[in-house]
Amino acid sequence: MTDNDTFREDVRSWLETHCPVSQRQPIVREEQIWAGSKSSFPSDDARQWFEAMRDKGWTAPTWPREYGGGGLSNDQARILEQEMARLQCRPALYDMGLWMLGPALLTYGSPEQKALHIPRIVRGKVRWAQGYSEPGAGSDLASLSTRAEDQGDHFVVSGSKIWTTRADVADWIFCLVRTDPDAAKREGISFLLIDMTSEGVSTRPIPLISGESEFCQTFFDEVRVPKENLVGELNSGWLVAKELLKHERKLMATMEAITEKVDVGLVDLAKSRLALSEAGRFVDGDLRSRIATHLMHADALHHLNETIYRGMKAGQLDPALPLTLKYIGTTEQQRKDELMLEILGTDGLAMTGTDSVEHERMVRNWAYNKAHTIAGGTSEIQLNIIARRGLGLPE
Amino acid sequence: MILNDEQRMLRDTIADFLSKESPIEALRALRDGESDLAWEPSLWSGLCELGAPAVAALEAEGGLGFGQVGMGALMLETGRTLCASPLLSSAIHARAVIQHCGSPEQIERRLPGLLSGDTVASVAMQEGSQFCPVPRSTRRDGNTLCGEKSLVMDAGSADYLLISALDQANQLCIAVVPRSASGVTIQLQRLMDGRQYGSVSLRDAEVEEWLEGDALDQGFTRALDEATIMLSCEMLGASRELLERTVAYLQEREQFDVKIGTFQALQHRLATAYCELELAAASAFNALLAMDEGEQVLSEHASKAKTLVGDILQHLSNEAVQLHGGMGVTDEMDIGLFLKRSRTCNQVFGNSSFHRDRFATLRGF
Repeated sequence: MTDNDTFREDVRSWLETHCPVSQRQPIVREEQIWAGSKSSFPSDDARQWFEAMRDKGWTAPTWPREYGGGGLSNDQARILEQEMARLQCRPALYDMGLWMLGPALLTYGSPEQKALHIPRIVRGKVRWAQGYSEPGAGSDLASLSTRAEDQGDHFVVSGSKIWTTRADVADWIFCLVRTDPDAAKREGISFLLIDMTSEGVSTRPIPLISGESEFCQTFFDEVRVPKENLVGELNSGWLVAKELLKHERKLMATMEAITEKVDVGLVDLAKSRLALSEAGRFVDGDLRSRIATHLMHADALHHLNETIYRGMKAGQLDPALPLTLKYIGTTEQQRKDELMLEILGTDGLAMTGTDSVEHERMVRNWAYNKAHTIAGGTSEIQLNIIARRGLGLPE
Repeated sequence: MILNDEQRMLRDTIADFLSKESPIEALRALRDGESDLAWEPSLWSGLCELGAPAVAALEAEGGLGFGQVGMGALMLETGRTLCASPLLSSAIHARAVIQHCGSPEQIERRLPGLLSGDTVASVAMQEGSQFCPVPRSTRRDGNTLCGEKSLVMDAGSADYLLISALDQANQLCIAVVPRSASGVTIQLQRLMDGRQYGSVSLRDAEVEEWLEGDALDQGFTRALDEATIMLSCEMLGASRELLERTVAYLQEREQFDVKIGTFQALQHRLATAYCELELAAASAFNALLAMDEGEQVLSEHASKAKTLVGDILQHLSNEAVQLHGGMGVTDEMDIGLFLKRSRTCNQVFGNSSFHRDRFATLRGF
């Protein structure tokens, strides 16, 4: 037996012992375990599951042990992921710090910054928000205008950030700010960590088409930020931002990791609602064909991820390949949402007040997921990158 | 496709051979020539010397042991240069029919010739103009056959045909019929892809022998699935070639004083096509892996690969013509040859609608 086989057996039996049965159900939004001082555990089982994973460092499986991470190799982390998927274990922790800031901080942070922030992320102590976009800087992110003025031992930050996910309950926010207004667009930007309890920080939730208010606008009115909260060099925040975006896009390509899993599969839903022929086929041939196409694409996306993983291990990864994942993943997710809505028929037109929590959730996700082809770099920006960096078409 | 070192060497050797011995001009010569040949004999003997027909077979069976991934990589290269050879008809499809439908004795007797390339066979399954995997009108009567078969690849140059038919109990049977057997009339036709196909008329055609394997239906399906996956790999090669040629053209061609590749509308068309191409490629590669891992039933894999690769080849061949502008509709440009090959590949072994329908049925809806 190889070391990996032994590891797989250990992981499997550990998960079977430590993951409560209630934590092996498809995740719904109300039961997600979010980090931060303002979050509470949705249930005792959730707490128990989180604490077990935290103590193993498996909330952040590949991060170094010295910061509380799991210290696993990529192969081991993949085994853990596969075994968790096999048992349908829910994610033990949700946080933007975990998904995005942490990896960037491990690359660009100072030893002090890592020692302070990484363990708090692994242990779910702090909930992070992302301060990138501004009302005037969306796809053209580098045109951002939130300013940080150098005041000796600290910066004074003024401006506002938009689409800051749940900034109203976040403890900290990582921000791109302009530190040199005279430099070229991308060269005058720095990466700052800001404590949300600082004086002058305020938030306003933004109601969305899904009926929720996940996103906020966050305002900074002459906020003092200590110099030690600068990540990377002054005016080289764009580098850090790019590293972080890579992780964000990777995450968004497999949205199921962070959104709700709808318990009912497309085919089962359709079978329970649509007219079937005697042979058990959907009478609506057009819809049948579109469902088939979607299922083929979904399988192929899974295989594309596998191909990328195999390619990476074999040292033969085509660098253009990972650039496609965010565009493909989010587009296909929306195709699935549209199919679900269509299958629900007129029942899918009610967003609230129905007798089916499940249907309402599908409809809410349909609306919510419209943001996926926009956030983290729009599909159009992804296609620009694929065309220029992947295919080598001229700028 | 992720290849091991040996498979990569194989691919490079084949690519090198094809660029010298079977560039696209070779297909033009075959298409425009006077001869009735289905392939250029020197090209086929060269491929056989390299062991191409036996790439996937185990070394113990006289093969080269590169696995189905190796064969898929080879087929991908043949798609790039539009190489016309009996690899698909004989070494892949007919060989698989013998292997999965023959008795052990028949396999032992017939397989070596197909693997060495000394013998060439072709499968006659389709009837009429629409693909259907089971025979409907070709009938067995004692030791003879009656019926009409269409779209038989390389029919005029194959040594024998493997013909699907129904017996009196409406059960599938598969006949081995030499091309020159009495009662067999083959009408040859070069289709738009420049290759030779035949319509086969069977009038009390004399059958040399019947395949005597235990599970003919399953075996025949399995053989079709293997061939479909390999054709998908060839089509993938054609798709990659089309994308690369079109990107190269957009990098060079200037209008309005700029390279037309700077136009975002054109960039996005190729970028979305690239995403779909990579999805299709992942699906085809996974099908090859499933074969090498010994999965017994390949139908879902085959239908997914043929649909996704078929859709993107259809799309990219149209895009390539359009983005090459006026040049795209000239016979001088190779793009048109890819466009036409794409349309025949689309029909061979069933088009995307056929495979979407088959996939949905397999998935139980």
